[in-house]
Amino acid sequence: MTAAVSIFSERPRADAILPGMIRAKGSVQCRFAANPRRTEASELYEAGGYRMKFPKGALCEGVIINTGGGMAGGDSLSVEISLDADAKAVVSTQSAEKIYRAQSEPSSASIHLTLAEQSHLAWLPQETLLFSGAKLHRQFRADMAADATLTVFEGVIFGRGAMGERITEGSFRDSWRIRRNQKLVFADEIALEGDMAARLDRPAIGAGARAIATFLHLAPDAEARLDEARAALETSSCECGASAWNGMLVVRFAAVDPETLRQSAIRFLNQFRAVAVPRVWQC
Amino acid sequence: MIMVTITDIRIRTSMIEGNALPLLVWLSPSFPVGAFAYSHALEWAVEAGDVSDFESCKAWIADLLEYGSGRTDSILLAQAWQAAMKKDESALQELAELALALQPSAERYLETVTQGNAFITASTASWPSENLAFLRQQVTGDIAYPVAVGVAAAGFKIPLQNTLESFLLAFVTNLVSSVIRLGPLGQTKGQKVIAHLLHLVCRVAQEAIHFNLGDIGNSAFRSDIASLRHETQYTRLFRS
Repeated sequence: MTAAVSIFSERPRADAILPGMIRAKGSVQCRFAANPRRTEASELYEAGGYRMKFPKGALCEGVIINTGGGMAGGDSLSVEISLDADAKAVVSTQSAEKIYRAQSEPSSASIHLTLAEQSHLAWLPQETLLFSGAKLHRQFRADMAADATLTVFEGVIFGRGAMGERITEGSFRDSWRIRRNQKLVFADEIALEGDMAARLDRPAIGAGARAIATFLHLAPDAEARLDEARAALETSSCECGASAWNGMLVVRFAAVDPETLRQSAIRFLNQFRAVAVPRVWQC
Repeated sequence: MIMVTITDIRIRTSMIEGNALPLLVWLSPSFPVGAFAYSHALEWAVEAGDVSDFESCKAWIADLLEYGSGRTDSILLAQAWQAAMKKDESALQELAELALALQPSAERYLETVTQGNAFITASTASWPSENLAFLRQQVTGDIAYPVAVGVAAAGFKIPLQNTLESFLLAFVTNLVSSVIRLGPLGQTKGQKVIAHLLHLVCRVAQEAIHFNLGDIGNSAFRSDIASLRHETQYTRLFRS
């Protein structure tokens, strides 16, 4: 009893480093297969506080849940989603992924999507929220068959603006590679280091933006849907634009207020996909 | 016959090897790559009021140099120069593919490959080198502009730093020239923007020499969005 009191009365040092053994190593691996009636998860592996649930509905939907509530420095997450031929699935996350201030090591996340012939995957996680001091190094990889369809929306929020937080330190690196029929068709390397708020205030960077998002649609008819995408952006109240080339359609968003971006994105996704965003988005 | 041609090329390139003078020709507005047709989305930035005077023009282009395509293209050019020098085919193929996949919009893709392909055609005809022929053997299809320039410079053993500085300075002068044509800047203010950005050109060039592909990192989000918006801009002088 006495010992316990002395432990709790000691204030944790601000620079205390947690030992590596208590860092979370999260993992979700899910495989989707099509049967004559519908698509269902055929294999599932969950580890390190991550779970995947499958709400009942007309579409096959998977929702990834982080029971730890967020990622601290040194935490890692690996997500692998694979779709067999003809499978159709939507994968989302239960809430925005919070990335806490890192003490030293960055948080790392790796997402790998594999799409077999004629499969359709919509990867629609909720936003990633970087706290001031967060370090996140993320890798996004997708390997798809030539006739598969991949739809992606990924948003990032820089700092808890609603709480008055200005994100003045940290590191965000986001590396994207999408291969279709083994050929690299889309790559992006986003890097923001140090005083992110100051950088985001610069004119060609964000002009004060605190949220950015990328929407990608790779499909045999992706280029033909550019006018539809532009029409779905018409009522958007944040900065955004669309383009299509080389069998893909790209939309980018930037906004000072993350909620404005979210509302614009939901309107765009609902109209472009002609189906409502996963229910978890609306909670 | 082919042997004679290669010997010819060797003799001609070796006569001026290491001299940076060809860069003045290759990166001048008169070299037939059509650089004048591309504003790199500055036409939209002017339309939207983001670029309206000396300070805003300087700030926008500085962002591109430090955090956007200027920095990315420098790293791609440096890697292409090094791969061509070493005749490293897999490195050259990898970075040529990456340079195309990194383009953020249809117009930016057009801007880099139209100039890259034209640069290859013009330099193969008038400034042939073994390295340029090597690139054509290894990479079929579209070539991004910085990759083409890097390989051509390696062909004449032009120092990398000179090449990077000249490439970035040509990038800046071309953008300033587009802003002048669009109206917000006069000739004198335009020259002043170039003079003020020269130190940044040198710094970004210097850094790119020591970087590799893993150091590529972009955050010029609004420049990328501007290139998307430019596609539907009502009146346009430029192709990007």
